[in-house]
Amino acid sequence: MSQKFHIRLASQRVNTNIAENRRYPKIFTPGETITQQHEFMRGHGTYEDNGELKSSVAGVREQVNNLISVKPLKSRYNGEVGDIVVGRITEVQQKRWKVDTNARLDSILLLSSVNLPGGELRRRSVEDEHMMRQYLQEDDLISAEVQSVHSDGTLSLHTRSLRYGKLGQGVLLKVFPSLIKRSKTHFHNLPVGASVILGNNGFIWICPVINNSEDSVGGFVQNLEEVVPLQERETIGRIRNCIKALAMCKMMLYDTSILYAYEESLKYSIAELLVPEAMIDVAILTQHRLSIIEV
Amino acid sequence: MFTTKTFIKKTRIGHFLKHVREHYIRDDISCGFKSCEKCQPVESFLSPDHHNKCSLFNYNHYIILDTNVILDQLDVLEEAPIGNVIILHTVLTEVKHRSLPIYKKLFTLIENPSKHYYIFTNDHHKDTYIEQLDGELVNDYNDRCIRKACSWYMEHLPNEKFILLTEDADNRNIANEEGITACSIFPYVKHMNDNAVLEDKLSRKEIYLDKDAKDLFPPHLNNVELLTGIKEGTLYQGTFRASRDNFLEGYVSVEALEDQVLVQGRAGLNRAVDGDVVVVELFDKSDWISPSEIILEDEGGVEDVKDIEQKEKELKETATKKKGEIKPTGKVVGIIRRKWRQYCGILQGGLEGVYQLFVPADRSIPKIRIETRQAEFLKTQKLIVTIDSWPRYSRYPHGHFVRALGKIGDQTTENEVILLEHDVPHSQFSEEVLSCLPKLPWIITDDDVQKRVDLRDLDICSVDPPGCTDIDDALHCREVGDHLEVGVHIADVSHFIRPGTALDLEAQSRGTTVYLVNNRIDMVPDLLSSNLCSLRGGEERFAFSCIWEIDKNANILNTRFHKSIIKSKVAMTYEEAQMTIDDKSKNDNIAKSLRYLNMLAKILKKRRLENGALVLASPEVKIMMDSETMEPLDIEVKKMFQTMSMVEEFMLLANISVAEKILQDFPECACLRRHPVPPSSNFDPLIKAGRHLGLEIKIDSGKDLAKSLDDAVKPDNPYLNTMLRILATRCMLQAVYFASGTLQKEDYFHYGLAVPLYTHFTSPIRRYADIIVHRLLAVSCGADATYAVLLDKSKTNEICQNLNYRNRMAQYAGRASIAFNTHLFFKGKLQDEQGYILYVRKNALQVLIPRYGLESTLYLARKGESSNIFEYNEEDQTQRAKDVVLHAFDPVKVRLSLNSDNIQHEKFVLQLVSPFIEGFSVPPIEEMDTSCEPTNDSGKKRKSTGDEKKNKNKKSPKNKN
Amino acid sequence: MSKKELLSKIGLRLDGRRAHELRRIRCKLGVFTEPDGSAYMEQGLTKVLAAVYGPHQVRGSKSKAHHDNCLINCQFSMAVFSTTDRKKRPRGDRKSTELSMHLQQALESVIKTELYPWSQIDVYVEVLHADGGIYPTCVNAATLALIDAGIPIKEYVCACTASLANNDVPMVDISHQEEVMGGPTLTIAALPMSGKIVLMEMSQRFHLDHLDKVMNKALQGCKDIRQILDAAVRLHVRDIGSATGWALTSYNE
Repeated sequence: MSQKFHIRLASQRVNTNIAENRRYPKIFTPGETITQQHEFMRGHGTYEDNGELKSSVAGVREQVNNLISVKPLKSRYNGEVGDIVVGRITEVQQKRWKVDTNARLDSILLLSSVNLPGGELRRRSVEDEHMMRQYLQEDDLISAEVQSVHSDGTLSLHTRSLRYGKLGQGVLLKVFPSLIKRSKTHFHNLPVGASVILGNNGFIWICPVINNSEDSVGGFVQNLEEVVPLQERETIGRIRNCIKALAMCKMMLYDTSILYAYEESLKYSIAELLVPEAMIDVAILTQHRLSIIEV
Repeated sequence: MFTTKTFIKKTRIGHFLKHVREHYIRDDISCGFKSCEKCQPVESFLSPDHHNKCSLFNYNHYIILDTNVILDQLDVLEEAPIGNVIILHTVLTEVKHRSLPIYKKLFTLIENPSKHYYIFTNDHHKDTYIEQLDGELVNDYNDRCIRKACSWYMEHLPNEKFILLTEDADNRNIANEEGITACSIFPYVKHMNDNAVLEDKLSRKEIYLDKDAKDLFPPHLNNVELLTGIKEGTLYQGTFRASRDNFLEGYVSVEALEDQVLVQGRAGLNRAVDGDVVVVELFDKSDWISPSEIILEDEGGVEDVKDIEQKEKELKETATKKKGEIKPTGKVVGIIRRKWRQYCGILQGGLEGVYQLFVPADRSIPKIRIETRQAEFLKTQKLIVTIDSWPRYSRYPHGHFVRALGKIGDQTTENEVILLEHDVPHSQFSEEVLSCLPKLPWIITDDDVQKRVDLRDLDICSVDPPGCTDIDDALHCREVGDHLEVGVHIADVSHFIRPGTALDLEAQSRGTTVYLVNNRIDMVPDLLSSNLCSLRGGEERFAFSCIWEIDKNANILNTRFHKSIIKSKVAMTYEEAQMTIDDKSKNDNIAKSLRYLNMLAKILKKRRLENGALVLASPEVKIMMDSETMEPLDIEVKKMFQTMSMVEEFMLLANISVAEKILQDFPECACLRRHPVPPSSNFDPLIKAGRHLGLEIKIDSGKDLAKSLDDAVKPDNPYLNTMLRILATRCMLQAVYFASGTLQKEDYFHYGLAVPLYTHFTSPIRRYADIIVHRLLAVSCGADATYAVLLDKSKTNEICQNLNYRNRMAQYAGRASIAFNTHLFFKGKLQDEQGYILYVRKNALQVLIPRYGLESTLYLARKGESSNIFEYNEEDQTQRAKDVVLHAFDPVKVRLSLNSDNIQHEKFVLQLVSPFIEGFSVPPIEEMDTSCEPTNDSGKKRKSTGDEKKNKNKKSPKNKN
Repeated sequence: MSKKELLSKIGLRLDGRRAHELRRIRCKLGVFTEPDGSAYMEQGLTKVLAAVYGPHQVRGSKSKAHHDNCLINCQFSMAVFSTTDRKKRPRGDRKSTELSMHLQQALESVIKTELYPWSQIDVYVEVLHADGGIYPTCVNAATLALIDAGIPIKEYVCACTASLANNDVPMVDISHQEEVMGGPTLTIAALPMSGKIVLMEMSQRFHLDHLDKVMNKALQGCKDIRQILDAAVRLHVRDIGSATGWALTSYNE
């Protein structure tokens, strides 16, 4: 068995910066004074020192009325109510699961926030608590929605929709949360024959196309027996590599960008897509196409 | 702020480690020309007004030097009117790497504005930096760097001319090909105007002789062979010490071996010069010999090989294998590092032509062959010469003339020689140093008074030798209740010499005041040494006081230190003080205080001796000088007074007290003085000598030794004890300064004084160590602040090393000065004197003449002949002539005269007067004919006295034995 | 004079720098994708990688977690090939443990830990090549990695070394060669903007007289380093911002 390895020296690394030199906003770096006036409220990424409002992260200033905040371009996932997330169960506790959602603390999925088999309004019984591990156990992947944010920053999730629930066969990909573009839906059935869940937390799930109508169990079933056809698997692989390419070049991820990247990538084999030059090429072409439609 | 930087890699093979270092290339390095507009202006001594005149080049030019020129021809550069020289950094680094002394000298040149030197940092300049190619030798690379810098200069300043001086022919050729004007220094100097003196100073590495030169010396092994040899333990590395008496003999002290390795003969020494670090190979044990006991002098001419061959033969014949004295013997096979320096000396007379032989004053240095065109003039002069090389075919090392010091025999010249030979810094104090001195009139301010304890009312007096102007100690003693209060007041020199000033650095480098017979080389300028610091009678002075409360049995109850103001009531000589004590009619405070001090000192001394302190002796003399002609009038042994020992006791006490105090406060960096216990082998001669006298000398401890010495008295020979003490003194090691943190506590011991801790505190005017101690003590008692260097253990140690060296040299210089003046005194005199035999040797007696503190050799046989009169008994160390037996320590009467054949080493010639030995002794002067005036020609004298012997034989009575 | 001069008479150091000049600094943020923040830092030949994970849930024993601030866990390690003599192991020796602790101290002083109760931030630094001033380079690299991870800090924390040349002239940013040959080395970690010193260490004893000037030199070095780091951060933010089209911000082109 022969395999092709690409080992690159640091000096041969490819510059992944594909940005055009455009105007850019004022950037604040930690410790820099934003304003000396007192009437502003300090938001995230700022702190007060000697009556001055200073930045504590590197990023761009945002102002909502009197609230000034500086948003770093990269950080852990900061959950907001209504966000779609993909997460991994880390712990099964009494009445709740702990889920790693790439936030700074593990999120909570209460037993009461899931749809149990057998109807939405079923009462949770002690048996259910004993059965919890059979529904979801450690290292299971789920998709969910943020229900609420606690004062200490912990997120509460729920899966009370048929769209959410346990994930079956597919590929998980992690990118920086800030690269996920917020949109109305984060569930995409791409026309090329795969389904993508773009979790707001930077976890991306790629799986064979889901036939929504049939599967309305609320997802505690996992069909690992079913064999996904090779073609579909290849499509999933290609999508994964395309997303990786976009992420490497720090491009926003959403259905159109992924689709374009997929189409542009067709001239490469799936494996070739892991070579930095190819990745940049795909990213640049995608960006070009996107800029056309923007105009 | 930052310039472009690139990297080079340096690989250093040793343990096959790869070192990577950064190397920054800059764009802000100036060419050093004021007229240049492209470079940033920078301080530079290059001057358009200076012109280099050389008839080879009919234009003004700037000179770029190659390393080899600097290494070999620095003497020329120092002297010559060569200026506007650009020293490349590559060259500078190489010079530093090759020879630190030359590097230092070069730097004094560079820093001298009138020489117009400039350092161009070519290896960090963006245009002149080049990378070393793969496989390129360092030398080639450096040459390339130099050429690159030359061409850069030519391009950079097209209006100026540059000349590269290099001795490397290849480099010269390539340079010429590249369009750089390159030239060797020989033609360059030859074509300079007024070159006569300069040419002599050119160092010549290679001189080919006309005749087919035979290799006189075996070759040295190369470095690799040496290093592997040392590693494998077949060869030993050590320092070579030439014997002063036998030019074909020397020792190599090897650290790994207990005994020094004896090397003998031309091949054995193999061109090693005193001080060199050499590698020796040991012979088989069966070939080991004992050191020869004959004295051999080099009497050869310029290329005379016969002499050396004959001497070698002589040496071989005398080679013995005495049991017990056999030393490891070996031969020098290579030289790791030359310790060549500049040597004082004279030219050997009787040689014609440009090739001359230089005879160094230091007898452990071989003669040096030089080439000079001014031989006739130089023959009257003392001169300095340095060694350049010593090729295999050459009997003598090759050197070149550096400078002349003055006429031979002149007082000033001789003083200069003494100072130079002993590396005593003796130039005038520089302006910078003098500017550190306080302005006169010097007034004590109220502020000063407040910071100090006012002791001006105390009856303090100083006791010193007559004529002393640098009085650094004064004493007082008074009754306080039942007890006595004793104060030692030391001049507060550290008040005037602040750390880090030019004055301080100068004093530090001088280390000590050097006393010559008619001259004093001050450590600090006169204003301080003889005025402001000197505790003169009746003047208010700053002092550092050490005050004890002592009971009448001399037990110390309390010690305190503080800075003070004192007013010495009177400055006395030892003699005056003694008289004051003895004069019962005097009863003033001073007299009382002196009597108390004397009383206490006696107790202290007794106690000290009981503890095992040694009383040692060395013949010390004072030379009375005629103040007008500066000629010695008389020589007398220094008189001893009780008061001397009185002052000494209190100085010792003060030093000990201070040592304890500073060690307590500065356990790491106190500057102390220790006297190491000598290895027992050092005492061998003493024990041997004692045994022949039937005395047992115990050396197990200082106390035993002191006791043995005290007991060694024989009523028939009152001087015997002194002689034994003189011998004992010679067994001792030097006392040294050290920083406390560098040694273990048990090593602090002072053997001679038998005290665990000792330092020097009492003579800050003439010793730098005392200044450091003063500063430490001042911090201890809160009178001053520390500074960085003071607390730096390694720095203190460094200073101590220098002080030890300077002290030793000052001591030698002082002795040399006395010796010279003694010689001067005896010039043309003939005198019979009482002496004592110190050692008995195979062909000579070593005789000590206490009256003049002289020690000289009485030859029993003429050179190269064995005596037919005397019989040497090695066992008893005696010489027997018929019924007269000469033992060590026997008193003899000898006739003293000076042999000035060798003007550099004027020697005393001793002739035996009594006991009378037929066919050898000479009659006493009184009985001699007045017509028999002493002449300077010793050969003749010897003969004539020989004749006389026959005549006087019958008359001479046998007085002793 | 046996000691080599650290500063030649013409005012250049052994490697050609002047006394006040830092070594060349090169740095890069976001060199890895896996950690939340990462940075690569080169000061002269000293090369360091830093990676920051977190803030995240405290793993392992929960007792370590604090209710009012977050735990900072630093790990310092040196690649076995980073020094001239091959090291036996990359971490766990006394020196590494000590450096880890010092690094933690320096970082704790700037990270706004109170924002992240019950959390933990892991900082890993790895020395790839050691050529003097390891600790300062690690601190500087860790600062960059924290900024890359978007973790709020009060201001940059920079570290720098300084020493005395020829017992008189203070010089900044000591290379290994100078460390070995020279006298005592002073290392400080400081907040250059407010001028606060958060950590100071000396390799040997120093005389008090020299402390001030050496410390000021080191502090000046920290300030110089901050400027270089700041420029790197701005460039990095600008590049990422442009690539994402500032989509996350309210900034409109």
